[in-house]
Amino acid sequence: MKWDEFFVTGEPMIYAAMVSIVVVSLAILIGLTYFKKWGYLWREWLTTVDHKRIGVMYILSALIMLFRGGVDALLMRTQLAAPEMKFLDAQHYNEIFTTHGVIMILFMAMPFVIGLMNVVVPLQIGARDVAFPRLNAVSFWMFFFGAMLFNISFVIGGSPDAGWTAYFPLASLEFSPTVGNNFYSLALQISGIGTLMTGVNFIVTILKMRAPGMKLMRMPMFTWSVLITNVIILFAFPVLTVALALMMFDRIFGSQFFTMANGGMDMLWANLFWVWGHPEVYIVILPAFGIFSDIISTFSKKNLYGYKSMVASMVVISLLSFIVWAHHFYTMGAGVMVNGFFSITTMAIAVPTGVKIFNWLFTLQKGKISFTTPMLYAMAFIPIFTIGGVTGVMLAMASADYQYHNTMFLVAHFHYVLIPGTVFGVLAGMYFWFPKIFGFRLNEKLGKTAFWLIVVGFNTAFLPLFFLGLSGMTRRMYTYSADTGFGPLNMVATIGAFILAIGFVVLCYNFYWSFRYSPRDENGDPWDARTLEWSTPSPVPVYNFAKVPNVKSMDALWEAKVNGVPLYEEGPYEPIHMPNNSGQPFILGVIMFFLGFFLVFSWFIPAIIAGIAVVVMLALRSFERDHGYHISPEEIAATEQKLRGDSV
Amino acid sequence: MKINDSLPLEYRTEENSNKIFGFWLFLGAEIALFSTLFAVYFTLWNRTGSGPTGKELFELNGVIWETFLLLTSSFTCGLGIHAMRLGLKKPMMIFFVITLLMGLGFLGIEITEFVNYVHEGATLQTSAFLSSLFVLLGTHGLHVTMGILWGAGILIQVGRQGFTDETANKSFIFSLYWHFLDVVWIFIFSFVYMKGLM
Amino acid sequence: MARLFPIRHVIGYIFSLILSVVGLGVVFWDLNPTAGLWILIVCALIQASLQLVLFMHIGETDNKKSLYFNIAYALFVGLVTIFGTLFTMLWGW
Repeated sequence: MKWDEFFVTGEPMIYAAMVSIVVVSLAILIGLTYFKKWGYLWREWLTTVDHKRIGVMYILSALIMLFRGGVDALLMRTQLAAPEMKFLDAQHYNEIFTTHGVIMILFMAMPFVIGLMNVVVPLQIGARDVAFPRLNAVSFWMFFFGAMLFNISFVIGGSPDAGWTAYFPLASLEFSPTVGNNFYSLALQISGIGTLMTGVNFIVTILKMRAPGMKLMRMPMFTWSVLITNVIILFAFPVLTVALALMMFDRIFGSQFFTMANGGMDMLWANLFWVWGHPEVYIVILPAFGIFSDIISTFSKKNLYGYKSMVASMVVISLLSFIVWAHHFYTMGAGVMVNGFFSITTMAIAVPTGVKIFNWLFTLQKGKISFTTPMLYAMAFIPIFTIGGVTGVMLAMASADYQYHNTMFLVAHFHYVLIPGTVFGVLAGMYFWFPKIFGFRLNEKLGKTAFWLIVVGFNTAFLPLFFLGLSGMTRRMYTYSADTGFGPLNMVATIGAFILAIGFVVLCYNFYWSFRYSPRDENGDPWDARTLEWSTPSPVPVYNFAKVPNVKSMDALWEAKVNGVPLYEEGPYEPIHMPNNSGQPFILGVIMFFLGFFLVFSWFIPAIIAGIAVVVMLALRSFERDHGYHISPEEIAATEQKLRGDSV
Repeated sequence: MKINDSLPLEYRTEENSNKIFGFWLFLGAEIALFSTLFAVYFTLWNRTGSGPTGKELFELNGVIWETFLLLTSSFTCGLGIHAMRLGLKKPMMIFFVITLLMGLGFLGIEITEFVNYVHEGATLQTSAFLSSLFVLLGTHGLHVTMGILWGAGILIQVGRQGFTDETANKSFIFSLYWHFLDVVWIFIFSFVYMKGLM
Repeated sequence: MARLFPIRHVIGYIFSLILSVVGLGVVFWDLNPTAGLWILIVCALIQASLQLVLFMHIGETDNKKSLYFNIAYALFVGLVTIFGTLFTMLWGW
């Protein structure tokens, strides 16, 4: 293999990226060495099995990926700002929209959502950790190294360039002969395995580790949404595993699954991809719904309206999400019965979602509303997401979709559900639960400024796209001519994108400002909230709850505060059993990175060696006898004293 | 640590009970995985290009032996767990050894089958039908291989430590996995081989 | 010695063998393809259920409702994937 097939050459922006990667990596390595933080990094973060730390790492990774995906977006919007711009050529543009999609969905939205699940759920149910802490760490490192493998592609080997959906025959070896799409297949596979393990972990955690008295129908709505989401993950991700494996077999081992000769069926890829892909979008949206439920209820100072129908609607959504997938390819040539069936199921799935919108509105009604930053995101979500939702119903009708499919109308629709839905949800969740983990709130004024910039920027960027789509502008087109008339609205959209970007800069600045200047909170409940996680001190001690709480109702903390129902029994502390840290998950992640990397380049001998190393790691784990450690009652008392002061 | 003495050893601690439950969930995911492989197989099974069909390739003899070996190994695995619940270490280990040996026999026949196909010119690359055949059977075979390695590891641990709640838990989870592989084989036997030879 | 061979397992094994032989018979008896396919489906489902209950002890613990739900959901997704794919991609509807 020649050097210029290995390293990407000929693109000044990519050279700049290579240089900055090297510089930043060196800066990190030198910084760690100078400040003597290697031990700290290894002990406290790389080997942790604590769900709170793992959650923080997920969210940090998501924020970094948000930056990269966002830069991709700005590059695209710059190229499209005016007709016939020469900023990006077609190949480069294709790589950018591909990486933008993959990163935003799989390496930004998923880890952000999973990170919040990790931080919050055990605390909300009164548990001390998830069911399988070691597996949890493995999940994170599989995600991380899958993301790293994907990210390295733009400087080594070349980015994938067939869209985040990687349709065949374009994504086949015949039409994409460079290794870019191999990165797609292997990186997503590795991350996907991590996600599947999260599915198992959280279902067991929520079903088996709730505090006594916390019946399922007393759980906070975020936890309910997480339970249902993880059921979808459990059954949807294996389909992706198979699809990506078949892609790998076609591209690296010459099989005929999706080829155009010897019996291959290229359209089968699109079918399998979307069997996973549609449940996937519900995986990223349902937790956001849960977050909004908790936030709206907290900041209206009211119980969530229609708790039972909120649960039922999410169960129905989860089942329906598996039978709508063909709406992603109505125009691929299926007949009337197929398209008709999927039109009906797709329109049906709007109904339970509508139920939820009304429940949120009724929760707000006659509530005592506080307009905090998380609440602003929740209130913006309701009308803006609805626009996305109703345009979804428009798209659901197969015959009409022949007009909208793969135009900017579609792009506008899904951004109108993903951004006001998932992105606002995770941002709101981040603002809301940040003080629980770090012991201080993010600054409200900066938060609100960022919010307004983001909301205005988002709508300015995406509303024009509906009209551009209806006028005939297709997606994934790197340029357009002046006589299409698409120029002015595209310029508006580009301006909106930059306003959005400024909003995110302000959001990042908020972190810095708050770390330095925010007042540290005193009692772990800065929002005067309703659920169990706010009964712990902030930051939360490693064991979460010194005593396991006894739950007697929904919104147990609120009941304790308002009606004096005690959360904890009298009596002494008991020793708490905790799992030990371990380097194995991190090391396994590194090995998987190399296994993936070797397969991308078809270096089979090194790949086999890496494969054997994986089996060795599994054997080590099987033979391991590690029973964790215990925290003594004295230690617990001392920690509680230190964190809560004399109120203990 | 809560220990429920009314349950068999492998379930007694809460952690162990959770591990068994978690593994069942994982098997649910594996059902989805194999279903997808079957979906691909059923879609592509007629698309033989210029290559042979299943009817031309499949040999009943090997299939019968594979089925018998895997089914019997599932039976002996179950007997092993039963012996474990009775606290009988030697019978449990013998049953497990028989299970793993039969698994090896199964693998031997399957590998021979693949080698024969390749020699006849029917490879992964020949047609869509053959690609999906090899990947469906191969995925199952890979699962069996991993199972044999895992089972051997557990056997060593039981040999060394006897029945503790850890080794009992691991053995039981292994048995769920092994039974599951035979359940998948039922469908491969029926809908790949029998349907193909009909 | 007898206690090493619990009756449930022995029954499960024998019935599985019988069901497999019936499946085999479909190849030898000259049936019309649809009938043959249905026999295969019924035998496979019965054998799988037998093994789930008798070998894997699915109904043994307090968790059984969750386990049944898990298998049901998995089958739902599996069947939708298989028949949905055939419906969408192969059967020309």
